[in-house]
Amino acid sequence: MKKLLYPLLAVLVLAGSAFTFIAAADWKIATGYSIGFSGGGDVGGAFKDFAGTVVFDEANPGAGKFNVTIQVASINTGNGLQNKHARSDEWFDAAKYPTIKYTSQKIVKTGSGYQVTGDLEMHGIKKPVAIPFTFKKTAAGGMFAGAFTVNRNDFKIGKPGGDVDDNIKVEISVPVTK
Amino acid sequence: MFRKALLLGIVSGLLAGVAGVVYARVYYSINEADFSRVAGMVRIIAGSLVGGVLAAIGFWLLNRWLKDKGEIVFNLLFSLLSFASLLAPIAERLPRDIDTPELFPGMVIPMHFFPALAWFTLKPLFIRK
Repeated sequence: MKKLLYPLLAVLVLAGSAFTFIAAADWKIATGYSIGFSGGGDVGGAFKDFAGTVVFDEANPGAGKFNVTIQVASINTGNGLQNKHARSDEWFDAAKYPTIKYTSQKIVKTGSGYQVTGDLEMHGIKKPVAIPFTFKKTAAGGMFAGAFTVNRNDFKIGKPGGDVDDNIKVEISVPVTK
Repeated sequence: MFRKALLLGIVSGLLAGVAGVVYARVYYSINEADFSRVAGMVRIIAGSLVGGVLAAIGFWLLNRWLKDKGEIVFNLLFSLLSFASLLAPIAERLPRDIDTPELFPGMVIPMHFFPALAWFTLKPLFIRK
């Protein structure tokens, strides 16, 4: 029995370490995040309500996973009338499609940072979207930052052309804590 | 005439500014919508004062050009311009970190009538015909 004690202890310590490793890769989204967008001229704004799970480890980005949701009704363009218009069925149709979801499929390291490829579901349409991003460790935890362009016509948001650019630039910065 | 009109414009502008600041405080306590960064005390008073001084200049010019009909035209113009100025807060784009831009016009629109209201209220005290 005594012979088994130390090997068993070793196994327990190793198993414990493994759990610690997995837990270390989980991040909590902290306050102060920004999900901004701009579409030419004075068209722009941000989504205020953002939540989800973030699993990421710089040493093993391939094992990372992002599963995040944005509440469409939280859109803020800075103008009350524009907010109402953006939530209406002419644009996002927040009543019918209340959320925007992004589920990652693959995260790879690139020259300047990382790139996540995943499914973006918006306005009832799901399309694969790649988002280049960086991750920097901070005193409080870390900071994800990324920018990408999405063609709103791919998701049938609004009518093509007009005052709003077809290609909308999205800029994300998400502070995270352990 | 111009001195009296200017004095009326300054006093009515200041009164409108004070009324605007008080209204902004009341609005904040009711709705908990804080727009002090974009429409703070200084901006409200300065805006009202500018409105009062411009009204004084307009009043003086119209009375010079149109004589007896000047005041009628001025009153009409002052009311119309106050009404037209509502487009500015409706179209105003606030910083993104202000959560309730929908409530901004509700706070600012009444303020756009305060200079005219103060002018019409105080005018008999300054200019009598």
